[in-house]
Amino acid sequence: MAAADLNELIEWPALECLNQQPGHTVQNALKQGYREDDGLFLESDTDEQLLIHIPFNTACKLSGLVIKSTKTDQAPKKVKLFVNRPTIGFSEAADSAGVQELELSEEDVEGKQLQLKLVKFSKVNVLTLFVESNQGDEDTTVIQKLAVFGSGGDTFNVAQIKDVSKEEG
Amino acid sequence: MEATVVLVDNSEMTRNGDYAPTRFQAQADAVNLLAGAKTQHHPENTVGVLTMAGKTPQVLVTPTPDLGKVLNAMQDMKIEGDVNLATSVQIAQLALKHRQNKNQRQRIVIFVGSPIAEDKDALVKIAKKLKKNNVAVDVVSFGSEEANSDRLEAFHAAVNSNDNSHLVTVPPGTILSDMLFGTPIFMEEGAGGGGGGGEEGGAPAPRSNVVDGFDYGELGVDPTLDPELALALRVSMEEERARQAAATAAADQQGGGEATPAAGAAAVEAATPVAAAGGGEAEGMAIDAMDDDMLLQQALALSMQVEQEEMQEGGAAETPEPQQPPKDEEAK
Repeated sequence: MAAADLNELIEWPALECLNQQPGHTVQNALKQGYREDDGLFLESDTDEQLLIHIPFNTACKLSGLVIKSTKTDQAPKKVKLFVNRPTIGFSEAADSAGVQELELSEEDVEGKQLQLKLVKFSKVNVLTLFVESNQGDEDTTVIQKLAVFGSGGDTFNVAQIKDVSKEEG
Repeated sequence: MEATVVLVDNSEMTRNGDYAPTRFQAQADAVNLLAGAKTQHHPENTVGVLTMAGKTPQVLVTPTPDLGKVLNAMQDMKIEGDVNLATSVQIAQLALKHRQNKNQRQRIVIFVGSPIAEDKDALVKIAKKLKKNNVAVDVVSFGSEEANSDRLEAFHAAVNSNDNSHLVTVPPGTILSDMLFGTPIFMEEGAGGGGGGGEEGGAPAPRSNVVDGFDYGELGVDPTLDPELALALRVSMEEERARQAAATAAADQQGGGEATPAAGAAAVEAATPVAAAGGGEAEGMAIDAMDDDMLLQQALALSMQVEQEEMQEGGAAETPEPQQPPKDEEAK
């Protein structure tokens, strides 16, 4: 199946971002419309690290990730990805290896789609992004847009159930 | 919707009597009231208790919506040793991290009743870690307020995010629970306005706060999750308000004998003659204002009169009011 933007499959009430500033929340980076606006961005609070838990309504296969930040010094550099660990905290995220680690270059944060190892992201209910450091070692990290690409789980279209007995009778 | 862990100071310093009867006892009362307020405010709120002093900090109750468990645990608390604040906060953070309902926000309430061992920098570091993990912290400083004040203020400034955390200092000689009642520690956002009115003891007060909370907090959330529940809660709250309004109006006329069912129950022991007089008048009034609330009060009045008669027949000749028999006959 073609990779689609999984924005509709995100379970918004359970979306969580730790260490975000109250005025600059993860909604600014993820929500349709908000994320296209460069004036609305996600910014970290106490230090430069961010921990974002993105839950999905269904188990998804992920193929790509877009992280866009126009503020080059404050753009994320080292990003660790975790799958299905919604309770992971900063200390464990820093200590564990992560399902995939991305070291972003300045080109990457312009909005290029970053490839994910499909095999490791085949049944994702919760995707966790741990932003460990930023490009310029600034005090805070800024992300303007976040998008996840892939395909939703095998959806069962209930309308397609045919009543066999009716057909025969 | 919140998960709260209360950190209690059970060090030897709390034996001090500068808060009546001892710091320890005043603190226990405040914690019980706080737990009650939290669990009443929202059915899914959970409260846990952790003792900070002794050999190691100990979790007495893991966050639970069951107020009874919290009250029981408070009974068994012992005074021993000195407070270890850093470790206690770490343990509390862990307890919150592993809460069952991830939708609840995380809050720690710390009761500090003795000098803090940690220095300012260590406290600020702890505060930053809490803020990073989205944990709000309320601090109640009593007992050693002066010694701890700048450390606690630095802690509060570091952990506060958008006014979600509070620092309250309680001076000695006052009643700890009373001083806390009006502070934001007892009331959650959206319920601040309703704090002043309707404080007739512990139980009614949080509920009248929640009335405002319904409009801002709960009604804002519930319709998306459970519209029927939100509507039912709101209707029952409004009925309750109307009933209490009718009750206070009736009380003025009756001479204060049976303002509310709670007051009526007390009247059985204390003001039996007044109650009887009130009962007789209620009869007459009932014809004018006949609705469910009045009928309920009437029924209570009648049952109280029946109790009175039984007391009198039993030989309690302490209320020799000649008016009693004729009025009882009237009621019958």
